[in-house]
Amino acid sequence: MDFYYSLAQIIGFHTLLGLSAYIVLQTGQVSLAQAGFFAIGAYVAGMLTVLAGWHLVPAMLVAGLGAALMACLVGFPALRVRGLMLVIATLAFGEAVRLFFFNFDYQIAKGEVKIGPLGGEGFRQIRWFPENGWTSLEVMLFVWTVVALVAGALWWNDRSRFGAVLRAVGEDEVAAQSVGINLTAVKVTAMTIGGFIAGLGGAIYAHYTTHIEHLNFNVLLATFAIAYPILGGLRSVFGTIVAAIFVQGFLVEGLRFLGDWRNLLFGALIVLAMNLRPHGLIDAATARRLARLFSREQWRGEQRRA
Amino acid sequence: MGFVDYVQAIIDGLLFGTTYSLIGIGFTLVFGVMQKINMSYAAGSLAGAYCGLVGPQLMGLPPWSVFPLSIAASGVIGYLIYLTCFRFIPLASPLATLMSTVGMLLLLDEIIVHSTAGMPQNYPAIYDGDPIEIGDFMLRADLVGVFLVCVVAMAVLLALLYRTRLGMATRAVAQQPVAAQLCGMRLQAVNGLTFVIAGLLGGVAGAMIGASVGMLSPLIAGPITVKGLIVTVIGGLGSIPGAIVAGLMVGAAENLFQALRNVTERDIYVMLLLFVFLVVRPGGLFSGRGHD
Amino acid sequence: MLEVRGLSKHFGGVRAVDGIDFSIRPGEVFGLIGPNGSGKSTTVNLVCGLYQPTAGEILFEGKDIAPVPTHRRLSLGLARTFQNIRLFANLTVWENLWMAENAPSHRAETRFLKRWIGGRSDARERITKALEFSGLAHRADDLAGSLAFGEQRRLELARALAAKPRLLLLDEPAAGMNAEEIAQLDERIRALQQQGYTILLIEHHMELVMAVTDRVCVLNFGRKIAEGTPAEVQADPAVREAYLGTAQ
Repeated sequence: MDFYYSLAQIIGFHTLLGLSAYIVLQTGQVSLAQAGFFAIGAYVAGMLTVLAGWHLVPAMLVAGLGAALMACLVGFPALRVRGLMLVIATLAFGEAVRLFFFNFDYQIAKGEVKIGPLGGEGFRQIRWFPENGWTSLEVMLFVWTVVALVAGALWWNDRSRFGAVLRAVGEDEVAAQSVGINLTAVKVTAMTIGGFIAGLGGAIYAHYTTHIEHLNFNVLLATFAIAYPILGGLRSVFGTIVAAIFVQGFLVEGLRFLGDWRNLLFGALIVLAMNLRPHGLIDAATARRLARLFSREQWRGEQRRA
Repeated sequence: MGFVDYVQAIIDGLLFGTTYSLIGIGFTLVFGVMQKINMSYAAGSLAGAYCGLVGPQLMGLPPWSVFPLSIAASGVIGYLIYLTCFRFIPLASPLATLMSTVGMLLLLDEIIVHSTAGMPQNYPAIYDGDPIEIGDFMLRADLVGVFLVCVVAMAVLLALLYRTRLGMATRAVAQQPVAAQLCGMRLQAVNGLTFVIAGLLGGVAGAMIGASVGMLSPLIAGPITVKGLIVTVIGGLGSIPGAIVAGLMVGAAENLFQALRNVTERDIYVMLLLFVFLVVRPGGLFSGRGHD
Repeated sequence: MLEVRGLSKHFGGVRAVDGIDFSIRPGEVFGLIGPNGSGKSTTVNLVCGLYQPTAGEILFEGKDIAPVPTHRRLSLGLARTFQNIRLFANLTVWENLWMAENAPSHRAETRFLKRWIGGRSDARERITKALEFSGLAHRADDLAGSLAFGEQRRLELARALAAKPRLLLLDEPAAGMNAEEIAQLDERIRALQQQGYTILLIEHHMELVMAVTDRVCVLNFGRKIAEGTPAEVQADPAVREAYLGTAQ
C-alpha cells in the first residue's frame, strides 16, 4: 500500500508544478523557469525545517513566498520578451538557479554531523516527516490537501473575472490593452502566483524525497512543468491534474514493467500526442462540450434554441 | 593565473566556439523558414555523431569514416524530425511543436542511453599534431582542426544559400512564404530540405564536439542544446552572421569564466549573461527590431 | 474633443504620418479617409497609444495624452474597434464583454477586490443589456471565435461600447461587409451619434463615409490634403487626384 501512497505523493507535487505553469501559460507566457522556483521552494523549506527547526507548514509558506518573490523579480524583465525569446530567457534563468544550488554550501554542525546543502553533494537528511512520526498515508493526505486547496483556488479563479483577464491577455495582448487591461500587472501577477505554487510544490518535494540536489531541478523538470498543462489543455485545472496523473502514474510508474523501454515510449508518446491533438488533450472546444454536459442550465438553453 | 592565461582561455574558447556557431546556425535556419524552434536539434546532431561511430565500431571501417557518416546520419535525422514533429502539426500552434520537439529530444536522448548503456563513447580527434606556438600562446592542434572544419562548413552553407537556386528558394520561403508558394515553390519540400541542411550542419558540429572533447556522452546533449539556443538568441533569431559571432562570443566567454572562477560556476554566469542580454537587447546582436 | 497637432510617426525612413492636424468636436461623426497606405491606421494606433508619436501632440478633452499608457486610455473615455477584428476568440461572448468592465464608470461602483472576485452576478445586468442591444443574447455562452463574421463585428463594437467611452474609434468597420450589412452599420452609427457618442470613423467605403459623417479629413502619403464637409471634400481637386491618379 505504501507504494501507492508514495506514488500519490509524487503525483501531488508534480501536479503543483504543473499548476504553477498553468496559470503562467494562461497569459500566453511559456516559462521554463518553474523548475527554478520549485528548487528555491525545496531548498528554502528544507533549510527552515532542518537547520532552523521550523514546523513544516510555516516553512512551506515561507518557501512559497520566497519563490514568489523571485518570480515577481523575474516577471518584470521577462515582460520585455515574448514567445520563443521568453522560453529561452526563462530556460536560462532556471538553469542559473540550478547551477547556483550546484555551488551552494551552507552547513552547520549539529552534534556529530554537519548538515545542510553542500554543492554537488546536495542536501541530505530533510527528515521532518519521519522525525515527527507521520505515516505514509498521513503524508499523502497532507500533500493532496495542499493540492486540493491550490487547484480549488485556481478553479475558482478561472471562473472569476481575473481568470478571464488572464486568458484575454493570453489570447491577444493588443486587444487586451485596448479594453483597459494592464499587461504588466497581469503578467507579473500570474508569474508571482505561479512562483508561489511552484515553491509549495518544491517544499513538499524536498520533504518527500529527504535528499535534494541540483540535478533534480534540470530542464527535464522544467519541461514536465509546462507539459502537464499543455497536454491537459489550458481550459481547466482538471486537464493539468489528469495529465500529471497520466504521466507520473501511467507513463512513469504504470509502465515500469517495460524497463528501459519505458523512457523511449515517453518521448514518443509526447510526439504522437502533439501530432494528434495539437491543442492539448482537452482543448477549448472539448472543454465547452464538457461544460455543457455538466451544466443543466446550459442544456435547457440549447433545448430552447433548438 | 595571469593575463596570458586569460587570453589563452579566450583563444581556446574562440576555436571551440565555432561548434556553437554551427549549432546556432542550425536553430536559426529552421527558425528563419518556419518561425519555430526545433528543441531537439542539438540532440539530433549528437545522435548523428553517435551514428557515425557505427562505422568504425561495428563495420570495421577506418576511424576517419566517423566524420562523413556522422554528417550524413545527422541529415537523415533532421528530416525524420521534420516529419514527426513539424510536418503534420498545424503552423498556428506554436506550443504543439515546442512540445513535440521536446518529446523528440527526450526520445533521442533515451535512444542513445539505451543503445550505449549510458557509457561514454570514445571519439577520434580530427587532427593529432603538436600544438602551434605563437609567442606566449599556443593553439591546440585538435581545436585548430575543429575550427577549420567548422569554418569550411559555414562557407559551404553560405555558398549554398546565396549562390544556388535551392538557397534562393529557402530564403524566399523565409521572407515571404505565401508569395514563394505562388511562385511555384513547394513549401513542404523547402521546409524539409531546410531540416536536412540544418541536420548536415549539426552533424559537422556534433562530430567536431566529439572530436574536441574526445568522447560523446548522453550528458552533453542538455548543455549543448542550451548553449545553442543562447547563441541563436544572442545572434538574433533568424540571423546567420549573428549566430556565427554569438557562437564565438559564448565559446570565449564560457572559457574565460572557467579560467576566472571554476568549471562548476562558469555556466551560471553564461546563463545570467544571456538573461541580461535578452532583457536589454531582445532582438539580438544584428536585429533592429525588438520582441519575437 | 480630440485635437491632433502636427502629429508625425516615422518608421525608419518611412514617414507613415507626417505632420497632420485635425480636431473633432463633441457629438460629431468625423471621417478619416485616404487611399491604402495613406496613414489612417497609423493615426488610429497613435491616438489609442499602440504607437508613440515621433512628433506632435494628441489632446483629448484639452489634456495631452501622450504619456498615458494604452490600457489607461480606455478609462479616459477612448475606445476602439480593429480593422481585422480582434476578439478574444477562446473566451465566450459574455466574457469578451466582461473584459471591458475596467471602464471608469464601473470603477467607482466596484472596488478593486470586488472587481477581481465579485463574480459574474455583479456585471450580469449590464452585460445582458449590451448583448441584447447587439442582438447577441442567444450566443452569450458560445466562444467568440465561433461567431459568424458579422456577429464578430457586432460583438467587437459592443465590447468597445461596454466601456462607456465618450469617443469611439471605428477602424474600417465596413471591411468585408455586404451592401445590406453596410446599410445596417449606417443606421447603427447614426443611432450611436444620437445617443451622444463622438465617433472617429476610418473607412474605405466612400458611400458610407459620405452618408454618415459630419466632416471628413483626407490623408494621402501621411499628409492631410483636404478637410471639410463630405460635399466640399468630394469637390476638392486634390482629393480627386489622390483617388483617381490624375486630376480630370
